Amino acid sequence: MEKQKQANKQNKQKLIRGRHGRYYYLKRDWQLYLLLLVPLLFVIIFNFAAYPGLRMAFMNYKPAKGYAGSEWVGLEIFHKIFKDADFLRALKNSIVFNLLDLVIGFPVPIILAVLLNELRFTKFKKVTQTILYLPHFLSWVIVASVAYTLFKPETGLVNILLRNAGVIEQGVPFLTEKWHWAVTYLLIGVWQGMGWSSIIYLAAITGINGEYYEAATVDGANRWQKIWHITLPGIRSTTVTLLIMNLGRIMGSNFERLDSFGNTQVKDFQYQFAIYIYEKGLSSGNFSRATAVGLFQSLVGLGLVLLADRFAKKLGEDGLI
Amino acid sequence: MKKDLRKVTAIALMGTMIVGMSTGCSKKDDAKDTGSDAVAATTAPKEETKSDESAATSTPEATQAAEAVAGIDGWTPFADRVTITVPVYDRSKEGYPAVDDNYWTKWVQSEFGDKYNIEVQYVAIPRSDVMTKYSLLIAAEQTPTILMEYDYPKVAQWANDGAMQVIDLDKFAQVAPTYYNKMVENNQLNYTDINGETYFVLSERPYYNTGYTYASFVRKDWLDAVGMEVPKSYEEYCKAIDAIKAAGLTDQAPCGLALPTAAYVANFAFRDFPANEEEWAMHSSLGTPSLSWEPTYKLLKRQNAEYNKGYFSSEYDLDADGSQMKTDFINGKTYSYGGYMSANVDWLTAFYEKNPDAELAIASNYGGVEAGVVDQPTLRADNPFGMIVGFSSLATEDQLKAAWMYMEWMSQEDTLFTLENGIEGVTYTLDEKGLPVVNGDYRGEEMLNHNCNIDMTCIVHASKTIGTIEDSIAAIAPQGLPQDFTQALIDNYYELKEIAEKGWAYSDPVFAVAIDSESEYSATLLSLWKEYSVELTKCKPEEFDALYNDLSKKFLDAGYQEVIDERLEAYKAGNTTKLPEQK
Repeated sequence: MEKQKQANKQNKQKLIRGRHGRYYYLKRDWQLYLLLLVPLLFVIIFNFAAYPGLRMAFMNYKPAKGYAGSEWVGLEIFHKIFKDADFLRALKNSIVFNLLDLVIGFPVPIILAVLLNELRFTKFKKVTQTILYLPHFLSWVIVASVAYTLFKPETGLVNILLRNAGVIEQGVPFLTEKWHWAVTYLLIGVWQGMGWSSIIYLAAITGINGEYYEAATVDGANRWQKIWHITLPGIRSTTVTLLIMNLGRIMGSNFERLDSFGNTQVKDFQYQFAIYIYEKGLSSGNFSRATAVGLFQSLVGLGLVLLADRFAKKLGEDGLI
Repeated sequence: MKKDLRKVTAIALMGTMIVGMSTGCSKKDDAKDTGSDAVAATTAPKEETKSDESAATSTPEATQAAEAVAGIDGWTPFADRVTITVPVYDRSKEGYPAVDDNYWTKWVQSEFGDKYNIEVQYVAIPRSDVMTKYSLLIAAEQTPTILMEYDYPKVAQWANDGAMQVIDLDKFAQVAPTYYNKMVENNQLNYTDINGETYFVLSERPYYNTGYTYASFVRKDWLDAVGMEVPKSYEEYCKAIDAIKAAGLTDQAPCGLALPTAAYVANFAFRDFPANEEEWAMHSSLGTPSLSWEPTYKLLKRQNAEYNKGYFSSEYDLDADGSQMKTDFINGKTYSYGGYMSANVDWLTAFYEKNPDAELAIASNYGGVEAGVVDQPTLRADNPFGMIVGFSSLATEDQLKAAWMYMEWMSQEDTLFTLENGIEGVTYTLDEKGLPVVNGDYRGEEMLNHNCNIDMTCIVHASKTIGTIEDSIAAIAPQGLPQDFTQALIDNYYELKEIAEKGWAYSDPVFAVAIDSESEYSATLLSLWKEYSVELTKCKPEEFDALYNDLSKKFLDAGYQEVIDERLEAYKAGNTTKLPEQK
């Protein structure tokens, strides 16, 4: 009896100190590890296995000659890029448009989530949500061709409607003049993404303890006050995490979206990194340049994420890393 | 008697063997010479090819008696299965089977591949994005065994980048004598080299300086309505369009225009005649648009004037692939549209379905002539070759041989006939002259792909020919329409021939060295050309000149200056073809 007690105590201590064999957990939770293997492999293959390819940025890479046969040129490609006026144009446009996307696009899903959360009639709420998610599933090519059909200056439906209603005399060049284009492009971006992005916020809102609302009701708080003092603070950490992640995309650009919305009249604004990489890199068979720009984009993106993370921690948030 | 016969036969056989062996040897030497002298030969092509011709035509008989028989008769199946990949254009046309897997690709496999233990795989190349697709294939080490393109700068770039291997034309002639002899016949040996090495073989382009397979159609019924004939000068053309606009025959802009999709600027008619050879070498190209060159200025200036007169839709630049322009014509909204002819031209069929009472006519080649601007209707003659064919640097010896076998097999009359006409009673019928008439409406499994399988047969020739030129034209005249254009197309051919005979049709220069700056800048310059040509078309006429100067300068700075400098250097070094003599 005494012995058994002793053994139990030892076992307990072992458990607390974690003095199990090396493979104890692996053996116990092997199913979980097996599941983990899939995403891990995905990351290894598609993120890490591609890394050696980055040396392309430092070579005058010719596909037919391969890595071994191509000439090593060090930072020459980068020198060339940074001197290229088109690169600077792409850099400026990418930053400006991504910032605008963030400023305009980031708050909308939050507002939407809060509004949806306030809806009390479940069926209506569900239908609304579904309709809002839909655009996310349309590819940019489709969104853009619908947009062009609607917004062409002469034959676009919207312009025909406005003209016939006597609101305007000449068609508004929604997509064929760069300033108009910028606005249309950004708003369509918001419209496309807001429903989908609101899902995460809605989930976060669901996680808020209902007792807070009850207590607030008892205290006599109205709806606005509840949103302001309970809902928004309740999803703050989610918001910060998403903000940090979005900051990482400031240097990114979506080729599909830019290309399908592009036309010659708006090249001044449409010319962002994705277009630059495609035109001056891939189309010309200049993979070195494409890789160099991609690397630059990623490094700046990484820097921004780290900075934002540190900033968030300073403000007392959990941060990302 | 019997004995004598045997003797004679024996002597004759011996004789052929000896002659064969000796000519076989001499052929090798000759061909070697051509290989190394090809660059120099561009200046004096005639004598060089003559000697080749005699050598090459003797090849088949020569080797028949010797051990190795040239051509199909000498082939044996490979011991191990050899896989070759062959590019085929994907034109994303509706209603056609997949280009890389259809009845005819299977037919090639069963008739040719299985016979010689070769697996023929087709790889689809998007017609509008050839370079990107090839770049990706090359980068992924999936270079097709055969690489081919109609534009010389593209193949030159692949050869220069190391994607193609140097070939031995003697060996090629041994495996594919029919193909090789055709090249000799067509004086093409001057184009096989780049940077002093032999990389290419070339397909035939029948009637290359009279592009009769392309035709522009105009609305004859509209012209009738305004009491005019088919315009034979620019003045008449403008009058006709103005009258059509005034008569309200269409509720939108009467002429079709779309964003340029390729680097080719159709400015031949705007060039001086006789042409300045140096300028021609610098600017005349399918690879890079020639903004900043005088003929391009004239062309844009005219386009700008037309735009400002309301000839074109103000949204024309949104039509990035020309589909809107085509749709507008089909819907009966515009005056003119053109394209390549074949037994089944989809847009003509659709046009008559939508506009059953309409009448079309073929546009005159003189419709743009205007004193001081377009003095004669100069045309771009095609290259004296069709596809420029090279071979992957990754291809093994067996793959190379299999690819050559494929080409030789494709060159055989009966192979071509079947691929281009299909199956008798199903896809074609024979007319009273015994010539095939393709049923363009056939939609069964055996249907021919785009333009009678041209994207498969293009490795042999750029267009289908049968019998006389009239027969060939009849074969590509669109069928099943309310109007028959056969005679009109024949007349058009003779008009083109007349133009060519006057020396008003010439091709672009071909460079025997790779122009590096061209491969570096062509994509950027094309994109700029799209942007600038639209700006220059849409600006106000009084702003045109200033804007033109400004944009030309930007264009030159963006790389075009480097391109023309490099071309000029190559020209001065004798590394280009020359202009034909112009009277």
